[in-house]
Amino acid sequence: MAKKKEVSQRGAVHYYLQSTSGVVGAVLLLFMIIVSICAAMGWLPHNPLDQNIESLLHAPSSKFWFGTDDFGRDVFSRTLDGMRRSLTVSITAVSLAAIVGITLGILGGYLGKWFDMVITRVSDVFFAFPAILLALAIVASLGNAWYETSLAIAIVYTPIFIRVARGPVLSVKEMDYIKVSRILGYSSPRILIKHILPNVFAPIVVQIALSLSWAILTESGLSFLGLGTQPPNASLGLMVSDAQPLAAFAWWTLVFPSLFITIVVVGLNLVGDGLRDALDPARRSS
Amino acid sequence: MKLRKKIAVVGVATALVAGVVLVAPAQAASKDLVVGITLDIDKLDPQGATSFSTVRALGLVYGSLVEVGPKLQIRPGLATSWGFNAAGTELRLHLRKGVKFQDGSAFDATDVKASLDRILDPANKAAARANIATIKSISASGLNVTLTLTQPNVPILAALDGVNMAMLSSTDIAAGNVGKAGSVNGTGPFKFVSWDAGQSVKLTKNSTYWGGAPKLDTVTFRVIPTEASILSALNAGTVQFAVITSPLVAKQVSSNLTMYKTPGLAYMALQINARQAPFNNLNVRLAVQCAISRAEVVKTAASGDGSVIGPITSPAYKSDPKARPCPEVDLVKAKAYLTAAGYPNGLTFKTMVAPTQQATIAGIGQSLKSQLAKAGITMELDVVDDSTFVSRWLAADFGTAIANNGGKIDPDTMYTRYFTSTGNLNKVAGYSSATLDSLFTQGKASGSVTQRTAIYKAISAELENNAAWVWLFAPLEYRVTAKNVTGFVPLATGSLLELRKVDMN
Amino acid sequence: MQGISKLRRLVFSSTFIRIASAITTLFGISVFVFLVLRVIPGNTITGAFGIETGALNPQQIAELRHYYGIDQPMVMQYISWMRSFLSGNFGYSFATGRSVFTLTKVALPVTVELAFIGTILGVIMGIAIGMFSARKPGSLRDFGGQLFGLLALAIPGFVLSTAIVTIMANKFHYFPNSLEYMPPWKDPWMNFQQMMFPGLVLGIAVAAPVMRTTRSALLETVDKDFVRTAFGKGVPSRKVQFKHVLRNSLIPIVTMTGIQFGYLLGGAVIVEKIFALPGMGRQVLEAITRREYATVQSSVMVFAIMFVTINILTDLVYRRVDPRIK
Repeated sequence: MAKKKEVSQRGAVHYYLQSTSGVVGAVLLLFMIIVSICAAMGWLPHNPLDQNIESLLHAPSSKFWFGTDDFGRDVFSRTLDGMRRSLTVSITAVSLAAIVGITLGILGGYLGKWFDMVITRVSDVFFAFPAILLALAIVASLGNAWYETSLAIAIVYTPIFIRVARGPVLSVKEMDYIKVSRILGYSSPRILIKHILPNVFAPIVVQIALSLSWAILTESGLSFLGLGTQPPNASLGLMVSDAQPLAAFAWWTLVFPSLFITIVVVGLNLVGDGLRDALDPARRSS
Repeated sequence: MKLRKKIAVVGVATALVAGVVLVAPAQAASKDLVVGITLDIDKLDPQGATSFSTVRALGLVYGSLVEVGPKLQIRPGLATSWGFNAAGTELRLHLRKGVKFQDGSAFDATDVKASLDRILDPANKAAARANIATIKSISASGLNVTLTLTQPNVPILAALDGVNMAMLSSTDIAAGNVGKAGSVNGTGPFKFVSWDAGQSVKLTKNSTYWGGAPKLDTVTFRVIPTEASILSALNAGTVQFAVITSPLVAKQVSSNLTMYKTPGLAYMALQINARQAPFNNLNVRLAVQCAISRAEVVKTAASGDGSVIGPITSPAYKSDPKARPCPEVDLVKAKAYLTAAGYPNGLTFKTMVAPTQQATIAGIGQSLKSQLAKAGITMELDVVDDSTFVSRWLAADFGTAIANNGGKIDPDTMYTRYFTSTGNLNKVAGYSSATLDSLFTQGKASGSVTQRTAIYKAISAELENNAAWVWLFAPLEYRVTAKNVTGFVPLATGSLLELRKVDMN
Repeated sequence: MQGISKLRRLVFSSTFIRIASAITTLFGISVFVFLVLRVIPGNTITGAFGIETGALNPQQIAELRHYYGIDQPMVMQYISWMRSFLSGNFGYSFATGRSVFTLTKVALPVTVELAFIGTILGVIMGIAIGMFSARKPGSLRDFGGQLFGLLALAIPGFVLSTAIVTIMANKFHYFPNSLEYMPPWKDPWMNFQQMMFPGLVLGIAVAAPVMRTTRSALLETVDKDFVRTAFGKGVPSRKVQFKHVLRNSLIPIVTMTGIQFGYLLGGAVIVEKIFALPGMGRQVLEAITRREYATVQSSVMVFAIMFVTINILTDLVYRRVDPRIK
């Protein structure tokens, strides 16, 4: 049961493939990527923005696989394009939040003192601030292109990453081997990268997986309040939000984008699980 | 484990059944009507009311000199008869006898004078001051009031309708009590009881109402923020009346409810700021106008519930929607106009929209964008929240905007403020001309309907030929009631005054 | 004796630091919200009068600016708001003609109750399902538990809320939220009915991340040496589960719960909207639309104060459950 600290690249892939979650997640992720590439390349049966006045709210058929919405737009093409847009928004937002949040969180937790205090205070300010108001402020002062929506979500999520990264650092910092490394005079960057980062990696990976799917849902919540992706462009969240009043007489407008949201959320989370299993040395030995 | 499960199931079931029984409408003798509103009222001063909820709730408590009926005819309110002098510069009104305020004091000409003076005083923030700004002086004696005007203004009669023209007690005005919760005192069919901020406004019937005591005992306006939830409340039987604006929600209204679909005076338009490039070029405006099929906008954005209109929606002077350049979409002409304007390869512009304002606004934006794309015109939607929209709209800080504007029963009150060079919203309208100025002055002065019809036809033509704005359609308004609510008559002005005749059984 | 007084001094100073830093945070938030509101276009006048603002003449506008207190320099506006906030009346809401404190007194308990119910339901469901899943990783029950977690994550709250409202109202003619809102001290049974479904919607949203955190934290701790030792010593497995595994997995769970509770306080807007609950989320949203500065600012400050308090409490709980943190 000895802990294997050094794992080769091949080893990680190997362990990842051993996890059922990981494999299922990878398949779903692959599916999402293919779908997004199709949408990005324009390989869709219809233009997702084209309105067909002759075919409003058609049920699914051989021409419109997922039916049409109240503007006569092809729900299938819109769903695929929506997947691309939702992924873009959520990946951009979470990458921003994760990079900034993890860096600040680890540094704050490790360095402590005034640095930690400033970071905690500033992150508290943003954390305690109602997300909707923040989003409104950003949208009102910058506009609401997709990257501004991403920025709004990123700002809301950064403090979460700060906390998630800082918590474990506080507890790892007090562990004997870190204390020993410090006494031995190892440099801070070396301790941070060699010892602390690997130890906070697992919770952060879980957090990233969770956040990616949250971001998609947050975007849909913003869309519900009219602050997210703007029509006629489609995001999965906006489609679900727009389809709410239609669902009673055109179920396909709600069901298909909801199904795709489920696939994205489930897929991202399973990938997160797989990654955690593969990257965490302790879990691997079991 | 199994037993525990059973207990849980039984428990949940009991709770649900008990809940259903508990909230099932009780067979009470008292007739209580609950009206669902999405936004709370925001003041108790009727003359300053602007939000729909406030206008509707206070409209039941206060009365005005004249009323606008279901066919948009002007009919007696607190005034029973009236007449203009030949020049149209003096309006004499005779007041109803025996009307009492809800606090028991009698209503007479001094109250009218005090109320109108209060509206005219800029310090009082009255919403409709501009509509009666031509009043030079008011003389009152007994039940007779004479308004002397600065210029001929026959349409001012119609402007005396509505909650913004509410008649207040001169004692309340003198005491500075108007708008305070303790002294909501009108002449309307219902009396104010309480206002629970964010939750509800309660009214009770005014037995001494001049039009006869209402059959309903109480009317409660309850705040339920989404129209879908209001519809659910109607289905659950906890709300009996609601005004719905979303055609999609209206589509879900089932046959166990009564729905009144009526065209209102409000209209949707693509407002153009013709003083800004590229829209200062008439050909650009005409190109946009020709690239749009209004019928398609109605079909998609409003689920088919709306009628294509011209500038004037006032029934007596309604513009003919066919009398305009390109009454039907004409892409060839649109391209020709674009080429003439110097944009043979199309152009890009921004349109300001506030989708939270009205359910169909976002849809109109999407429909226009897709249609204009076919003519090579790229329309970018600049989406803002309500308050931002209003403040940028007022500052004329937009090239184009999709607006849901209220209509008036007289075209003069409707458009003078927009399209005369001295109108207080002319900056927002973005267009004026000497021809329009003189036409509006003539319209004001004339008392003859035939003459006025010709004048407003000319105004319509002037606006359309210059594509001052692109007028789109008039949305339908939906009022939904429970089946046991009888006798409701919808008014195009949006007022719920006819609840005074409504019964529940 | 000397030791004790030294200790006391230490405690005192660390409490002092904590409170001082909390006040710094609150000050930061107050400045931030104040500025944000003034950066976004529109003001109280356009919020109150809508497009009818255009019908006002310059004299009226000036009067209104004075009436709403927005003719003052920014610094003065901030100071006068702070003064009224600290004095406890929180400023004046023009739209309702009441002090913001009066409004908050009604709205805050609604949101706090909702967030509590949501968090408690969520934590119970989350920890239970998480433990249920983690006991036999890879089994069918684990699969079921995880599936719940994933589906709960995937369904947007507004979809779930609307579905519940529509189905209950159309099929069972049951929509207690459309009746007058009843606080628990007035009519506990009605209050329960009005809170049950929105609480459940929030609870499900909370349960998903708590369940996943619980599961992964438990799996992580199970592998730690002291747990193996306990098992080796023949301690009954249920006892190991609770005493050793759960206790040592609490840090991430507590972090997650703290985050979720804070999130619910500010994030209940949508649920409050659909279920017509007169809570803080709605109060803030409506006040933003109307640009009622004092209402937005003071409400945000109330959120912030609660939030900061929860943070301090979470920190204290950390210290309780994990003696390694000093």
